[in-house]
Amino acid sequence: MSRRRQIAAAAAVVLAVAGCFALGRYGAYLVHAVAISAIAALGLNLLTGFAGQISFAQGALVGIGAYTAGNLGNAGWGAGAVLAGGVAGGVASVVIGLPALRLRGLYYAIATLAAQFVLEYLFKIVEPLTRGISGMNVSPLVLLGRTVASDQAYAALSLALLAITWAGLQRLMHTNVGRSFLVVRENELVARGMGIDVVRVKLWAFLVSGFVTGVSGALVAFTTRLATPEAFSLQLSVDQVAMLIVGGQGVWAGSLLGATFVVLVPEAIQRAGEAFKAANLLSASREMAFGLLIILFLVFEPRGLAALLRRLGRALSRLVASRASRASPTPAALATSRYPATGGSREKAH
Amino acid sequence: MALAVRDVSISFGGVVAVKGMGLDISEGEIVGLIGPNGAGKTTFINCIAGTYQPSSGTVAWQGRELRGLAPHAVIRQGVARTFQNVASLHDLTVLDIVKLGAGARGGASPRDAARAFVRGEAELEAELHEAVLGPLRLSPIAAQPIQTLSYGLRKAVDLARALASRPRLLLLDEPVAGLTAQEGRQMAGVIREVRDRTRCAVLMVEHKMDVVMSTCDRIAVMAAGAKIFEGTGAEVQADPEVRRVYLGEP
Repeated sequence: MSRRRQIAAAAAVVLAVAGCFALGRYGAYLVHAVAISAIAALGLNLLTGFAGQISFAQGALVGIGAYTAGNLGNAGWGAGAVLAGGVAGGVASVVIGLPALRLRGLYYAIATLAAQFVLEYLFKIVEPLTRGISGMNVSPLVLLGRTVASDQAYAALSLALLAITWAGLQRLMHTNVGRSFLVVRENELVARGMGIDVVRVKLWAFLVSGFVTGVSGALVAFTTRLATPEAFSLQLSVDQVAMLIVGGQGVWAGSLLGATFVVLVPEAIQRAGEAFKAANLLSASREMAFGLLIILFLVFEPRGLAALLRRLGRALSRLVASRASRASPTPAALATSRYPATGGSREKAH
Repeated sequence: MALAVRDVSISFGGVVAVKGMGLDISEGEIVGLIGPNGAGKTTFINCIAGTYQPSSGTVAWQGRELRGLAPHAVIRQGVARTFQNVASLHDLTVLDIVKLGAGARGGASPRDAARAFVRGEAELEAELHEAVLGPLRLSPIAAQPIQTLSYGLRKAVDLARALASRPRLLLLDEPVAGLTAQEGRQMAGVIREVRDRTRCAVLMVEHKMDVVMSTCDRIAVMAAGAKIFEGTGAEVQADPEVRRVYLGEP
């Protein structure tokens, strides 16, 4: 990314974070719900979209982050609790990832599914740490000596952490660790032949992805003020995978687009139902409508919203360019339209 | 001897791919390895590179046993390889791939990764342009994604990736296969140039005899997993057994 674009992106983030304080309570709730889901989706995208390791244990990892941060937050840890949630998520992710060193593809996916069920069970029975089925109340986050209580403040914090995570992961992909993820995703045999320590690279992917997911879990705990086993069930793991499918794997923007879609579409269906006084009917069909939308994506745009928007953007810029050249056809424009360029460099996914 | 391979054998499900193979290579020497398809040439290279673990024999490199080491550990000993078929690695540029080669020198240690994360890789890029991309004339296309390049250029990038790890032994698996005659000659020239500049040892599996004859100091011939002859280009061409097995002469 060029310096100018970096500055523009940083300015946009600062404006968006500041803008959170102008939102109403519901608007702020939607912002932090999307941002927190997007952070976890960034973690899953790193693991699945960039490193090629599918996981169905994302929900449980969010839970590990939430319970760790909740317990430490209640003990007065403050911001350190968010960091600790990330560390716990990273460690748990590495442990869940250990079978991936021997298993591949569907077999590994099933192993992560088993890990999800085991952790869900542990959330219910390790009562001293989780308070069991009734759930654990979490004190508000204390940041720099001040209690973060409002939805607006949590929206601003979540957006800021989303931006930091996004920038950090993007930076990571420009180091040899990140490049190794891509080679391992493409072909493990080639990766080995190139001198890449595949075991170490996979462990890095699990660690970083788990850390990011754990941070998202910590934010879930502080924003909802409650951590219950139901909140971190397989449903959440499936939602996370849906975010990748809808948004686009191996593209950072796909995580945000997918999270926005998965969080806001059910919400919009619910609101529409209330507006048309068909809340009960629409509420019942909400999950079905959401499922149908995902199937449509799989059929018509398997590369997700990110690819769809990129295509739309290109079509729009072609349209603008053709209108401009029709308005004033210069010799250069005429030459381009007669002899369009072939090939050229392809935009990098990251 | 820089490389001393003794009595290496490997089987796959009862099929003997390499049987009692031995080979010595000195520093600065280019040795060709030829033989008909299925002779075990690539398998032999894989045994040296750590991709396959031989069932018996020894692979001594500068006095250190390589047998039992994983491929990434073998590269850290100064042994790099190229591939017969170059993988199309999506989303990676020429420079990305060469940087991966440089990273294979010492592995991606947390310290290196942290330094690259914080400071960027400007120093490494400058070094790679000067030492690898420049001499191979790849600097102008350093920012291009690998899958947009021709097969010949991808082969050159694969060689650049191997050279970026600063090898003392270079294992080349059919470096000119799939290239045009002109590209093949250029690649052969590059290999000689690299040897002259770095004085590294080179083991080259190749089918194109004109390239083998013009590039290699010595040639070993394999058939059915075993070495059947070793000598200079002229000696290989004159040997009746080689002519019968490899060239199909009666």
